[in-house]
Amino acid sequence: RSEKPNWDYHAEIQAFGHRLHENFSLDLLKTAFVNSCYIESEEARRRGLGLDKETVVLNLQDNSKLAEQGMSFSRSYLTQCFEGAYPDLPAKGIGALVGFLTSQELVSYVAQNLSIQDLTLCKEFPVPPDVLQRTFFAVIGALLSSSGPEKTGIFVRDFFIPQLIGKDLFEIWEVVNPMGLLVEELTKRNISSPEPRITRQLGVSTVLPLYFVGLYCDKKIIAEGPGETLLAAEEEAARVALRKLYGYTENRRPWDYSKPKQGLAAEKAVSSS
Amino acid sequence: RYVRQLQRLQLLFSPTAADARGARQFVEEVALDFARQHPDVVLYVSPRPGPAPLLLAEYLNGTVREELIASKTSEEIAQLATKLAGQSGLDIIRIRKPFHTDNPSVQGQWHPLTNKPSALTVRGPRLQPQ
Repeated sequence: RSEKPNWDYHAEIQAFGHRLHENFSLDLLKTAFVNSCYIESEEARRRGLGLDKETVVLNLQDNSKLAEQGMSFSRSYLTQCFEGAYPDLPAKGIGALVGFLTSQELVSYVAQNLSIQDLTLCKEFPVPPDVLQRTFFAVIGALLSSSGPEKTGIFVRDFFIPQLIGKDLFEIWEVVNPMGLLVEELTKRNISSPEPRITRQLGVSTVLPLYFVGLYCDKKIIAEGPGETLLAAEEEAARVALRKLYGYTENRRPWDYSKPKQGLAAEKAVSSS
Repeated sequence: RYVRQLQRLQLLFSPTAADARGARQFVEEVALDFARQHPDVVLYVSPRPGPAPLLLAEYLNGTVREELIASKTSEEIAQLATKLAGQSGLDIIRIRKPFHTDNPSVQGQWHPLTNKPSALTVRGPRLQPQ
């Protein structure tokens, strides 16, 4: 975009800060957009044009430190959020959720819709997704240094957690053996192991049979799931039971976006990262 | 949080043509106030000896919208600019339905097996008519 007419980098960066309702220190933000491949290509171009050695060395710093800070802060903050919201979810599940939220596709999608693609200084165009991811985390790192951990926490919460709306837990977290996991969870809570029984069945001898298998613990039903064959129905029932146990059903309370009352949580995130 | 979807507004007009009078008035009087009220939109003003005055709006998802502002007064141009500033970059097409829900059912969708007695495989004793 910088090659087209009407482009003022400084004004664009100021507008970027205002658009996100955040106060950035502009130097940190400008370093956050500088990538290492850009520095190399600029130095090579200047050397090719035959300038002196002094002007060849640019006075620009890289965004790698800021990117690491941003990535570690956002990971720890998101882990804390999920531990607070879903206390029963095991560490692997939380790790899978955080990994999905910080994955390349999601972060590059968010970054493109926030006009970060226009502002990054990079060798190739269109900007590849891993560069976009690094730049976005560098922006978060710059925000951390300029505004403090609380505001950065609110920023991370506002932009990453809405990406989870409408998504099911097991679309994000691949579980190979839900029945085994369910038995482990139930033994942790000292409930007897589940007994599967067929609750309903339709069209048994046709091409599309439908079985509803219910899981009973001590003769009380905990979950019921549909499936095409008996095995598929049992697995689905185990998944439904796990969703209920972890509190990640479709009808759970939506995420709480109100203003945080304590700053302790964000400070813990900074100290642990 | 709310993120304004308008990225930048480019005002292209010609300093001498007659139909760009509203655009010139807008630039002289209203443009500074508009820029101060909308600090997250970058406003570029470029006089060029081109054909007709244009207002180019670029949105965060990449769509570019052009509006002709020939023979419009400066208040109309200001109104147009605020309208563009409130829009998102989605295509302006007919919306098929004015409603949309992500949760079409609250208690679970009906399927042919709801409200049938608990299990089709279980047969209870026949209730005697009393």
